[in-house]
Amino acid sequence: MTGWIHPGVVVFLGGLLIPFIKWRRIRLAYFLGLPLVGLTILVLTSIGIFGSVPSWPEALYKWRIPFLQYSLVLGKIDKMSMIFAYIYLIAAFCMNIYALRVKNHWEHVAAMAYAGSALGAIFAGDFFTLFFFLETMSWAPVFLLWFRGTQKSMGAGVRYALWHHFSGACILAGIVIHLNKTGSIDLVHLPWGWGGEFLGYNLMLLGFIINSATTPFHSWLSDTYSEATPSGSIYMTAFTTKTAIYCLIRTFSGVPLLMWMGAIQAVFALFLAVLENDGRRLCSYHIISQIGYMVAAVGIGTEMAINGAISHALCHIIYNALLYMGAGCVLVVVGTAKFNELGGLYKYMPISFWLYMVGGFSISGFPLFNGFISKVMTIEAAELIHNAPIYLLLEGATVGTFLHTGLKLPWNMWLQGKDEPPPTIRAKLKDSAVNTPVNMLIGMGILAFLCIFMGVYPKVLYDRLPYAVEFIPFTTTRVFSIMQMFIFTFMGFWLLRKLVQGYPTYTLDTDWPFRMAGRKVIWFCEKPLMTFAQFVDGKVMGVADFLVWFSRNPALALHIKKEEAKLKVKRFMMSPKRAEEHAQVLVEKRKSYPGELPKLTLGASLVLILLAFSLYLILYLLIK
Amino acid sequence: MKILRTYPKRLLWTIYFVGLAVSLILDFVWLRLNALHYHFPFQYFPQFFAIFGVFGCILLILIAKGMGYFIVKDEDYYEKKSRK
Repeated sequence: MTGWIHPGVVVFLGGLLIPFIKWRRIRLAYFLGLPLVGLTILVLTSIGIFGSVPSWPEALYKWRIPFLQYSLVLGKIDKMSMIFAYIYLIAAFCMNIYALRVKNHWEHVAAMAYAGSALGAIFAGDFFTLFFFLETMSWAPVFLLWFRGTQKSMGAGVRYALWHHFSGACILAGIVIHLNKTGSIDLVHLPWGWGGEFLGYNLMLLGFIINSATTPFHSWLSDTYSEATPSGSIYMTAFTTKTAIYCLIRTFSGVPLLMWMGAIQAVFALFLAVLENDGRRLCSYHIISQIGYMVAAVGIGTEMAINGAISHALCHIIYNALLYMGAGCVLVVVGTAKFNELGGLYKYMPISFWLYMVGGFSISGFPLFNGFISKVMTIEAAELIHNAPIYLLLEGATVGTFLHTGLKLPWNMWLQGKDEPPPTIRAKLKDSAVNTPVNMLIGMGILAFLCIFMGVYPKVLYDRLPYAVEFIPFTTTRVFSIMQMFIFTFMGFWLLRKLVQGYPTYTLDTDWPFRMAGRKVIWFCEKPLMTFAQFVDGKVMGVADFLVWFSRNPALALHIKKEEAKLKVKRFMMSPKRAEEHAQVLVEKRKSYPGELPKLTLGASLVLILLAFSLYLILYLLIK
Repeated sequence: MKILRTYPKRLLWTIYFVGLAVSLILDFVWLRLNALHYHFPFQYFPQFFAIFGVFGCILLILIAKGMGYFIVKDEDYYEKKSRK
């Protein structure tokens, strides 16, 4: 059998059918089943039903569609796309469980369209297909934002769309320039450098950098993810940025610029996270920081680094979804995720706390959790190229990550040294240990299990990476150094824990200049531009009004105008009384205008028509 | 159910201090025995990761607080701006 079914298309189109299923239970079962169908297809592909998947970097090509003089490849199946697709679908399944109780089923549609188009981008074998799926992927989250229905989320949705359409335009421009130069649309590794001949590639790189939320273009992520619906934001954490990392690995691995951008980003985001008061925004800064590791690894570009980038992206999807779910379930249960309003929740939501902590330990890179097995690969890659600044930045980011997600967030949300939450929050909680809806706990539970399973048995991931891995993460040196670092990070946190508690504030980000410039543009449009437009409008309308008035009875109009002009001149020569009389007569005439229209005889009409024709003739001859 | 709802504070503190002491001793012993294999010379500095952890953490918080002087605003900063 050589045919193949595209799991992305199944999930995407299947998602669009959700609202047509009337019965709630069947609809939810169908919603849960969609990623499972995708997973089944993947398993069948893995075991070679559709032809065996060759070893890296060879690929299996399916679903070739002719388009203009090109051939679109919707299914480029190789080791890298397979492992990404597996994790996307597993994560989507857990997220679907988490989002099961959402009342608005259009949110489910948007989520499945999102996951489906992400899979489409992963399997794309040419730039056109990739661009198409990146574009559809940039629309689904806008709806996940708008469905929250608050004023802030509406604005965030528009900003999300603006950022992603700008990046989409950059990518398209890059693709067109590349196509013009090489005549091929195949998805291949691209050259990079400074200078005019690399303009297209730099534009494409800029597009991917914006999509992957690399500093200084990271602000859209923290701005929008924290405004989406509690379950919608879970989907957003997984797909967009990781797909951008996937694109970077495919096209721009080994660009030294990326190495520095990534390493700086990994630390920079942490400074902003210190000041953050909203739990979900704090997790957003950690996505940005973790993406820093991946971007840096892509920039290093050695086999070990690429393996590190891929495995970190995949582990990140799992543990970050778990972190967002932890913060999201607090938001769902008590209606806020702001640190200054929380604390002392432990007694009421202990299971969520511990499941969250699994995510927290994973993202920090504790041994035996999945963040460790992927993070040490990236750090090792930096060590192997003997680049001490990159190593120190990445290691420093590890400290900061543990400080925030492992200590600051759980401390501020669940503990703060209090036994009871503040009274307003307490009123929303039942007196039980399970306040979180069970489906959310199940979704989190599966992800937490995966975090630990992958951490304890890294072979399950390593065997599926594109390059062969001979890497043992658990060496005495690594385990010891990272544990000692964490123990002392905790000491630093405990000493300064009063400084990192939440205050009801908002931290400005790198989008400040854009938003301020945007405000100025809107001000310019509303004030000076509108005034000018009104002025022009008034003048044009005045002329138009006059022409309309004039054409009602041109003969009388001409007469009135002539009389008016005459009066103006004569006024100085006649007595004021007479002038007044004249003016009175004119006013009377204007009032009775257009009055009785002059009746022309047939001959006079013909003369007028001939006159008009001869005018045309003169005009024609003049122009000739 | 009751065990679930009480936070194991004492246990965690005990584990923490035991871990702290063990890590300090192990670093001392293993560096003597040349049992640790690092890539950069500065990593061989005694208790490097302990110092890095605690000072990295403190520096991070203090620098961020310094930045906060300029960039921390009211919660409805942008909303207020647009109302003007």
